[in-house]
Amino acid sequence: MSELTDIFETNAREAAASVERCRHAPGAVRQALERVTQKMGRIVVGAAEFVDPRLADVLRELPGVILKPADEQLATANAGITGAFAGIASSGSVCVALGPPLTAAASLLMPLHIVLLPAERVVARPRDLFEEACLGGEGLRRNLVFITGPSATADMGPLVRGVHGPHRLHILLLE
Amino acid sequence: MADSKLAIGKGDSPRSVANKGDKRNVVRAIRMALEMEGPAIRRNTQTLNRGRYRAVGEIPDYDTLKDQARQIKEKAIANLPESMRTLEAAVRARGGQVFLAANAEAACNYIREVCQHHDAKLVVKGKSITSEELRLNHTLEGAGIEVAESDLAEFILQIADEPPSHIIAPALHYSRERITALFKNTFKTDLPLDSGEELTKFARDKLREKFLRADVGITGANLISADTGTLMLVESEGNIRMTSLLPPVHIAISGAEKIIPTRREMAPFLELLAASGTGQNLTSYTSFISPPLDDPPFALPGKPRKQREFHLVLVDNGRMKMREDPIFHETLYCIRCGACLNSCANFQTVGGHAFGGETYSGGIGGPWEAGTGKLENARFSELCTGCSRCVNQCPVRIDIPWLNENLRARLNHAEENSAFSGFLSMVSSAEEKDRPAPASKVFFGNYHFFAKWGARLARLSNAINGTGLARAAMDRFVGLDRRRALPSFPRETLVAAARGISQAKAKNPTAKVVLFADVFTNYGLVERGVAALKVLHALGVDVVVSESIPEGRAALSQGMIATARKYARGAALHLQSFLNDGRDILVIEPSSLAMFRRDFRHLLDDPGQFERFRTHTFEPLEFVARLIQRAGCGPKDFFDISRSPVGKRLFFHAHCQQRTIGSAEPTMALLRAIGFDVATSTVECCGMAGSFGYKKDFYELSMAVGADLFQQVTEAEKDGGPRALLASGTSCTEQLHAGLHQNVMHPIELLAAILIISK
Repeated sequence: MSELTDIFETNAREAAASVERCRHAPGAVRQALERVTQKMGRIVVGAAEFVDPRLADVLRELPGVILKPADEQLATANAGITGAFAGIASSGSVCVALGPPLTAAASLLMPLHIVLLPAERVVARPRDLFEEACLGGEGLRRNLVFITGPSATADMGPLVRGVHGPHRLHILLLE
Repeated sequence: MADSKLAIGKGDSPRSVANKGDKRNVVRAIRMALEMEGPAIRRNTQTLNRGRYRAVGEIPDYDTLKDQARQIKEKAIANLPESMRTLEAAVRARGGQVFLAANAEAACNYIREVCQHHDAKLVVKGKSITSEELRLNHTLEGAGIEVAESDLAEFILQIADEPPSHIIAPALHYSRERITALFKNTFKTDLPLDSGEELTKFARDKLREKFLRADVGITGANLISADTGTLMLVESEGNIRMTSLLPPVHIAISGAEKIIPTRREMAPFLELLAASGTGQNLTSYTSFISPPLDDPPFALPGKPRKQREFHLVLVDNGRMKMREDPIFHETLYCIRCGACLNSCANFQTVGGHAFGGETYSGGIGGPWEAGTGKLENARFSELCTGCSRCVNQCPVRIDIPWLNENLRARLNHAEENSAFSGFLSMVSSAEEKDRPAPASKVFFGNYHFFAKWGARLARLSNAINGTGLARAAMDRFVGLDRRRALPSFPRETLVAAARGISQAKAKNPTAKVVLFADVFTNYGLVERGVAALKVLHALGVDVVVSESIPEGRAALSQGMIATARKYARGAALHLQSFLNDGRDILVIEPSSLAMFRRDFRHLLDDPGQFERFRTHTFEPLEFVARLIQRAGCGPKDFFDISRSPVGKRLFFHAHCQQRTIGSAEPTMALLRAIGFDVATSTVECCGMAGSFGYKKDFYELSMAVGADLFQQVTEAEKDGGPRALLASGTSCTEQLHAGLHQNVMHPIELLAAILIISK
């Protein structure tokens, strides 16, 4: 297990995400999030699945969170926070399940995406999520997006990070 | 917009030369691309290619994964009609609509009607090459609907009014500097747009506003699973996610071949596509969504929030006919990763405006363009030299050279050819079926015939070949470029020379072999054949030399498939008796060797016979290395580097087809084990590629491809002076000689020179 999370961390950094290890408990997560979102401005929070249910309160109470954002607020918010359905060690990706309210928007529209990934949900390779035995087979049924680093393009000449999607991806690895 | 076109020069633009149905456009497009697009294409394709080698190297079971992907695609295409019904039911069950478009017009009309039904003013598009095939923008704009391309490459092309030059990176031919000029011209802005970041931010801001306002979002799909109606969408910019999330109406366009029976079977493609395409473990975003999505669509203040709607447009447009084709059904296995483009030396040099048609480009582009449009539009497939470097790179194992050779065969039939080509065909005994081939193809495809007579009359033919008049005639009638040195014909062929070389009959030979007197060795570089005999004799091998007969390579490369089949069967018949006698077959010319090891699969009727040839044919150094190992000795027991006439520093360029069949490594390993300092080329091909570089239409391209190789030699000599040049292929030898004006030897000649002759 710890080996998988190490590989995950290395590859996620390689893909230009930032990774922070954090205890999977309300107090520790609150501290970590407050540090990352300090002076960030407006924050949109997607429904937090797959994490300690007590984290829902932490997210709601975070400074700057807009609880019921109007569409134009979605378009101008500064950061989004979502849970992750899984982490992929071989590519350093986080896999976010779409469907719960605001998850798609919070993982896409803001310049910063913060994702909460429980360490026990890190699997070895992307293909594992296509197995019935893996994470309850949910990977075969949910709408998912594998996110590997911030959005990027090579269409304008050199590699540029930060295009239509988030410019920064910050992963809180919850242990 | 007009300004960017002026910059192309000489009146040719990517758009004006896109249609290769006009024959002249092939040559004009090459010139245009070399002048305008070359450096950006080379840099970008080679970056993708290096990334691909790295990324696939990190997949531990890469070959197994490719086998799985291949099997899934074979099954998927075989069961396509059933999968289409399953998919339709799955999409409808979720409240979506499915439209099966027989052709481009039907697809465009349906999409236009959906847009009009919603009174759409603005459509935002993710990247969809299939929509380029359909000319969808033309239809929508004709109906007064604004179309915003949101993929940054497509955004560039939309502004510049150019066709894509690459299947996954459509604006790969644009350098950063040209994009800056294009944006400044188009948008008349004073903003500093001198970096990738500034350009990206500029385009992003323009497009963000479009995403929020769009009435309809149109995406493609990389794969679709029939059982769940799930779209797999691969991207890095986030524009495809936006396109499918924000507008109330989502239309996905996909070729019918993208359907995979089950979602579970999408698994192998996830890693293969990313690694093969952009050289990444995964791209920034890979989505698996079964629309319509649950989230409410975006609505600007004051606008009503609409219900989500989803339409899946499955495009036939020739695909179901391709599915019935005994050769071209393989095209439908393509997952459009672009690996065959990036690993192709010609593509790396001119890109998809020259090596491509109006939509599709590169090695697999010819079959796509012919299948979804007109056969003549695929004339650019002439730029596939059959070097085979793409073969091992294709994640679904499509034999792309074989498809292009067949395309060439069909194009040969469609051409009108001169009485002269008929005469050449007749004297050289090309098969009746291939008779309509152009004179140039008949000449190169039956090279053995002309070489045989050239050698019989060596003194005369060498004298004639040197004259301006003869070169002018060859230039005019068979398209052989005057700037190329012609191989001089030997006074004595290998077969004749072998009769004069006596071998003391070893009582217990270490091995029994037949040396195949391939046309290029027998009537050309005889010295490498003689060297091979010398080395084999010294190692105690019982060697006989075969007759010199064509094995079909030359004919195959010209698309004269019936002739190639005849020659292949003839060579197989002749060599079978040696195999029956317990002899392995040694082949010096790598392109001939690759025939036995790879292409015979298609040309011999009996798969068992192909298997015998595949496993019993060897490149000479490959064989020598095995022999030494089997004897429990080391290379230094037989070869002494201090006898080297060319010193210890070597530069070895392996032949393209030799690398594909895995017989280049043994040469390098053996030379290194003897003690040589061996530098090697990393280019995919030298640019000569058999007859390709001899043809006058392709001389400039061939030399431009070769420039990378020449540069690598120069680089490799920086660390301590000159290196002796070694090459295994006849045409590589000529190319290296032409580019560097140095002597080039075959590795077996070097081995012959450093033999330790015992007793």
